[in-house]
Parts: sequence; structure tokens; C-alpha cells
Amino acid sequence: MPLASWRAEERPVVASGTQAVPALIDINGVSHSYRSAGGQNHAALAEVSLTIGAGEFVCLLGPSGCGKTTLLNMIAGFLTPTHGEVRVGGEVVRGPGPERGVVFQDYSLFGWLTALGNVAFGLRMAGVPRALRRRKAEEGLRAMGLEGVAGRYPFELSGGMKQRVAIARALATEPQVLLADEPFAALDAMTRASLQAQLLDIQQRSGTTVVFVTHNIAEAVFLGSRILVMSAHPGRVVEDVRIDLPRPRRRTSTPFNALYEHLSRAIGLEGDE
Amino acid sequence: MRLPARSVFLGSLGALAFFGGWEALSHSGLVNPIMLPAPSLVVRSGAELLGSGELARHLAASLWRAALGFVSGALLAIGLGIAMARSAGLYDLINPLVQMFRAIPSLAFVPIAIFWFGIGETSKIFLVAWGVFFPVWVNTYIGVRDTSPLLLRAGASLGAGNWRLLAFVVLPAALPLILAGLRVGLSIALVVLVAAELAGAAFGVGYLIQMSQTVFRVDQMFVGLVVLGMMGYLADFLFEWAVRTLLPWYGAERGRG
Repeated sequence: MPLASWRAEERPVVASGTQAVPALIDINGVSHSYRSAGGQNHAALAEVSLTIGAGEFVCLLGPSGCGKTTLLNMIAGFLTPTHGEVRVGGEVVRGPGPERGVVFQDYSLFGWLTALGNVAFGLRMAGVPRALRRRKAEEGLRAMGLEGVAGRYPFELSGGMKQRVAIARALATEPQVLLADEPFAALDAMTRASLQAQLLDIQQRSGTTVVFVTHNIAEAVFLGSRILVMSAHPGRVVEDVRIDLPRPRRRTSTPFNALYEHLSRAIGLEGDE
Repeated sequence: MRLPARSVFLGSLGALAFFGGWEALSHSGLVNPIMLPAPSLVVRSGAELLGSGELARHLAASLWRAALGFVSGALLAIGLGIAMARSAGLYDLINPLVQMFRAIPSLAFVPIAIFWFGIGETSKIFLVAWGVFFPVWVNTYIGVRDTSPLLLRAGASLGAGNWRLLAFVVLPAALPLILAGLRVGLSIALVVLVAAELAGAAFGVGYLIQMSQTVFRVDQMFVGLVVLGMMGYLADFLFEWAVRTLLPWYGAERGRG
């Protein structure tokens, strides 16, 4: 039954006009190419058009070199598209901004600030008064289960704790979108599973839109309400899969594994086509 | 493994043997006690200079020059280091000049500084600032230039504009390198200061040594050496202490590379 439900929802690559929810992120004919040392043009991303609705948890899934991080970086405003444009909330993205929170794979915490100082950083930049930003940052840490570490510096935290702090930091300014670039790739399996559950819990409660880059199929199936499967040479979206499996999803369930197998084939890990 | 108590014992033994031997040698008649005054005499002369207030006057003069030269040289170096790391044009414009001047040992500028600015304060402060400038400039430039682009992205995505990115991300990230440059600058400041004071001054610990030489007071020359050693040690100690107290994350960051 659930197998049929996700298959029925499967969409062709560029079908975005049929969204039920209004588009929060509008990616319109976006491509990105760079010139290699040899002087040739390489397309990291070729002509991608899609929309992402408010509240979606979208996983960009694909092998390395498929342009998933490039696409994320363009939504974040770190990269400018060679062609096309990205709009978030109707505004054309021209650079990074606090309405688009970013979580990085290597945490990228500010080593000279405590956990609390890191979480409060965006609020400080926004001019929030000290007492209020302290309270909000404490709330953010608590939401990630980090009450005890407010005064600790990043070098005193484990990898999992650092990434929790980084997520709290990105969410502190209440962004419209949370962008995550393989945030759990460097963590051990147990820590990764608990962080996945935590992120999902926060996302379900707050309704924040999430765009999540991963090359881990199980992670995408566990987290995503939608998976965009990407492929390399040139980077493009080859499949747009909506996932209606009920939550919490069990990694051992039959529909979970059927979907896993389908996606493995889609990204070319198994079988021919 | 060496026991601390054992290390302390051996260290004290070595020092005792050295100073005891020196004391004995000075009294033995084998050497001229004017040329090699006994440590006990050096201590007495030191107490005398301290009691008369003369030592404090020399020390204050030296410290004041060192501090003023250090601060002005360091501020200029940090400012220019940041500007050159942020502006390729400025870098291209100034870098050949800075590299050229950097290659010349700062002590070689002592005569010309005295020729230009006289034996007053200006020449000392100029020379110290000149010596401090280069290590601080190099480290600031590298630290700012090599700030992790991911930290810059993190800061920008949290709403930090250009200037606040500089103040709240780039400078703190570069601080370990800047501090290392300042520390090197501190020891250079002392070397250059003493050289300048030896070459001509009316006050200062270097001048005390110079003046004592002309009146055959080798004991006072030794007092000057001891004071300089203590100054260097204390400056480094205070610097280290301040860094550890003000920046608790510093050691760990440095250790992690």
C-alpha cells in the first residue's frame, strides 16, 4: 500500500506547477559552470528548475559531483548561478542572509565563542538586546538537548554536540529555510541516528522548510518528505520523489526498503535502469 | 619518568654550583675582582641602585619606551596587515617595499635613527616600533588572508555584513596568529630597545650598562643584565598569562591547528 502511494506521487523532473503548497523556494532555469585549469567549461549543474513549498523536508540525494552542494550553495547565496535565478520567499537570492540558516558538514562553529555565544551570534548581528538573545539562545540549546554545555567552547564538545550547537545556531534567527550540507556525514552511526530524530522532531514542530544534502539513501528516506535524486555529468535532477511513509519511519519496514532499493537504482548504485 | 622534586633539586644544585663557583672564583685572587665582581657584590650594588631610586628611573624610562614603541608598531602592523589581506591592489602596491625593509635587520637602523631623531625618546620609540612591526604584520596578514571560507560563510549566513564579519569573525579567527606575532615582537622590542639605549641615551637600563662601563663599574653592568633578563622574562610571562586568562579557547585552537 505505501509502496503504491509514493509511486503514485512520483513526478517528472521539471513538474513544479502542480504544487499544492505555495512555493517558498523557486529555482528557475539555474545552471552553474566553472572553468577548469585546462580552460574547458564544466557544468556543475545544468538547467535545474523546481519549486519547494513551505514546510517541506527536501533531501537532495546523489553521488559526489552531481551538483547537490552547488545547488544548496546557490540557495544559501554562497554561489551565484551562471544562468537563471533562485528566489526565496519571492526575493531573488543575491547573497547569504539570516532568513536562510545554514548547517555545514564540518560544523564551522566559532571557536572563540562558547556554545551559547555561537547560538546567539545571529541574534547579536540582528541587534537583539543582550538579555533577550541570551534567553533565546538558552532556549535553542535546550531544544537540542544541550542545557549543560552553554558555557563550553567548541573544542570541549564532541562532534555530535558541535553539530547540535550548529543546528541551534542556524535556527536561532528563526529562518524561513534551513539548509544543511551533509551535516551528519562525519558522525558515527549512533550519533547520526539520534541527530536525525532530533532534527526531524524540531522540523515537525516548527514547520521550518528544510533542504538537506546527503549521499546517504537511508538518511534521505528516513528524513525527507520529498527526495530530489540528482545525477552527475552534468549535475541535474533526475527524479522527484514524494514520500508519504508515516512517521516515525522504521528503517526495517518493507516500504522503507523498497524505496531504498528504488533510489539505489536511481542513483546508479544497483542494476541498470 | 623524572620526579618534579628531583628536577627541582638538580636545578637548584646546578644554580648553586654555578653561583658558588663564581663567588669563589672572584674571591680566589685568580681573576681581577673588578673585572669579575662576585654575585654577592652584584646583589649589593643592585640593592644600592634600587635604594637610591636610580634603578627605578632607568627601568621606568626603558619600560615606557618599550611600551610606546610596541603599541604603536603593533597597531600599525595589524592595521596594515588587515588592509593588505583584504585589498589585493594595496597588497601589490606595498608588498615589495615591506619585503625589502623586512630583509634589513632592524638593529642596522639604530645609527640612522639617532642621526634623524637624536638620542631622545623619538629615536627609541621609532626603532622599537620598527622592529615590532614586521613579525606582527606578517602574522596578521597571513591570519586574515587564510581565514576559513566556511567560517566566513557561516558568519554571512547569520547576518554579518562586511565590517561585522571582519570584527566578529575574521579578527577572532586570526587572533592566534596575531598573538604569536605580538609575542615575537615583544622579544624583538627588548633587543632593539637595548641596542638603541646603548648607542646613546640619557636614561634607561641599556644606558645604565653603557655608563657603568665607562666608569669601570662591572658590578653595575651585571645589575643591568639581571634587570634586562627579568624584564624579558616578566614580559613573556605576563603576555602568556593575559592570553590564557582573556582567551580560554586559545591554547586548544592552537593545538588543533
